[in-house]
Amino acid sequence: MTVAPPTEKSDIGGRPVPPSGWLGWVTSTDHKRIGLLTAGTSFVLFVGMGTLALTMRAQLAQPEQELVSSHLYNQLFTIHGSGMIYLVFTPFALGMGVYLVPLQIGAPGIAMARLTLLGYWFYALGAAVMLAGFATPLRAHADGWFSYPPMADSVHSPGTGTDLWIAGVFLATTGTIIMGWTVLRKRTYGMTMLRLPVFSWSMIVSCLMVIGAFPALLAALGLLAVGRADPSMFDQNVWNIGYQHLFWFYGHPVVYVMFFPYLAAVAEVLAVFSGRRFFGYKGTVLSLLVFAALSMSVWGHHMFATGQATNDYYSLTSIALLVPAGVEYFAMVGTILGGRLRLAPPMLFALAFIPQFLIGGLTGIMVGTPVIDYHVTDSYFVVAHLHYVLFAGSAFGLFGAVYFWFPKVTGVMLGHRLGRLRFWLLVLGTNVTFLPMFALGYLGMPRRISSYASFEGFGWLNLLSSIGAAFLAAAMTVFAVNVLWTLRKRTLGSAEKAPDDPWGGHTLEWATSSPPPRLNFTPDHPVPPVTSFAPLLDLRQKQKEETAADRSRP
Amino acid sequence: MKRHLSFVVVAGWGLFNGILLAVLAVYGENSIVYWLWGGAVVLLELAAVAVLASSRSGPDQHVRYRVPDRAAGAVVPIAFGFLLIALAFVYGWWLLALAGPLLLVAVALAVRGTTAREE
Repeated sequence: MTVAPPTEKSDIGGRPVPPSGWLGWVTSTDHKRIGLLTAGTSFVLFVGMGTLALTMRAQLAQPEQELVSSHLYNQLFTIHGSGMIYLVFTPFALGMGVYLVPLQIGAPGIAMARLTLLGYWFYALGAAVMLAGFATPLRAHADGWFSYPPMADSVHSPGTGTDLWIAGVFLATTGTIIMGWTVLRKRTYGMTMLRLPVFSWSMIVSCLMVIGAFPALLAALGLLAVGRADPSMFDQNVWNIGYQHLFWFYGHPVVYVMFFPYLAAVAEVLAVFSGRRFFGYKGTVLSLLVFAALSMSVWGHHMFATGQATNDYYSLTSIALLVPAGVEYFAMVGTILGGRLRLAPPMLFALAFIPQFLIGGLTGIMVGTPVIDYHVTDSYFVVAHLHYVLFAGSAFGLFGAVYFWFPKVTGVMLGHRLGRLRFWLLVLGTNVTFLPMFALGYLGMPRRISSYASFEGFGWLNLLSSIGAAFLAAAMTVFAVNVLWTLRKRTLGSAEKAPDDPWGGHTLEWATSSPPPRLNFTPDHPVPPVTSFAPLLDLRQKQKEETAADRSRP
Repeated sequence: MKRHLSFVVVAGWGLFNGILLAVLAVYGENSIVYWLWGGAVVLLELAAVAVLASSRSGPDQHVRYRVPDRAAGAVVPIAFGFLLIALAFVYGWWLLALAGPLLLVAVALAVRGTTAREE
């Protein structure tokens, strides 16, 4: 690919800035910087939202505790849920795509880079606005991440906290809608659609869901804003149910936007650390597309309890999700079976993802079945299910991806020993925190309550869950120490330098230097010939065959 | 078809959504649902048309790329301008008096092509 040189200075009104300066970072059109800004911002917010969760677990550790008031507790779970979904997992997934997709398809940059940068700024400012609610007189928004009217109208939820939440979520969601698009139009020579890596395909599919579903959230927020100006609007039930349809039309596909990129990262890791080509590539690509389309059709299962959804249809499509999910599981297991497994930290996270997400997925089918949903709706069973999907599943994919691509992004290796320690702490913490919640929900503990009586019998399960949360906090601390220590050593020049391809990767990003240069590929590190979805593996196999042929010659 | 596979993916995916919507119609739903999902299908087909138009205007696999750094300096003022507009819904329309000049500055930066070009 030919790269036109940057615009000459005479053509522009700006001035050159050093690449490491703050001005260079905040106005850069380099997709890698935008991706890092997005991932970095969402990671900082992840720590903040996790702290809110720890406060909630401390409150629930014992019956009848009064560490925080019920009003503050309502704010904690609202901002924790909103933050994790709107500000952490969704933007991190898209940030990963912004960073990796141009590299994986052999492009020197991203399509519509300035718009992508604008998307980042909308997201970051939206996050600040949402969190600013804590500084208002009546404090932050407190009506849950879905904010159903009439509870979220200005009569039942007065104050500017909710208004700021609406403005913040609107800005942040607009930002995430903008940050999509590139894979379809910037592929390098030889990179046909069916040679795209699984991760790039997952980003295509995520972008399709973003285009199709995310505008519904903007419409829902607009409806809520209008309703807060005139609360009598929500006296008519059509607007309340209409809001729920708008919200969940976004609210279910967003779970897959928070899931597919991490699933695909796991797929890439499994293939690389099994030393094999990813098994069932075409079936996986097709299943991603079918999975995503079905995910647009199941939102009504969140509304079974309203009695105003077509139960049979939404239940049917929810159960049908098992088919594409099964294909993907078959492909993942098929990849590792017979492979020569290397149990480095990225692979540990990828392997743990498989059984843990299975629990989240199967309990999703349970709550997608009306007869079970009526029993467990709005209980801790649902909390356990969504955390097994988003934490035991997506977060493990996220951390596997971080360990996998950290050397490429930073040029140094992340400490393996701390990585392993952190992995075991996280596995233990995740399952001790969230598994008891299934039992709590089944036994009848409602979600979103700040306290419970001792005679209800929820005490020891809640204590167990809170102990697990402490392990999660320890795991995150180990991770933060590992990353900060490694980056500090990089500054001092004593960190272990990462080669271009430390793991024996399959995709194009491993062909360039670590970290990649501004335009990704240079004459020293050209784009290798693209012969399949695993071009570097092809290259290695070809070299091996040629070496063997040379040796066999007399 | 191979030439425009990216268009086929987007259009086909939108069409599959249309089929799922048609199945829902057999079961029956509130009219708001048809407008909602139907609107999303239309949006996806429009995106597919945009992909088609884009791929017809250039090669399917790109061979030339221009570094898009011109006017990148306008992005941050635009973002803050829209932030003020969003806050105007909360704290009053007077904030538009601040948003307007900021957006004008952003337009001027965009027209002038200002950027913090990396050395």
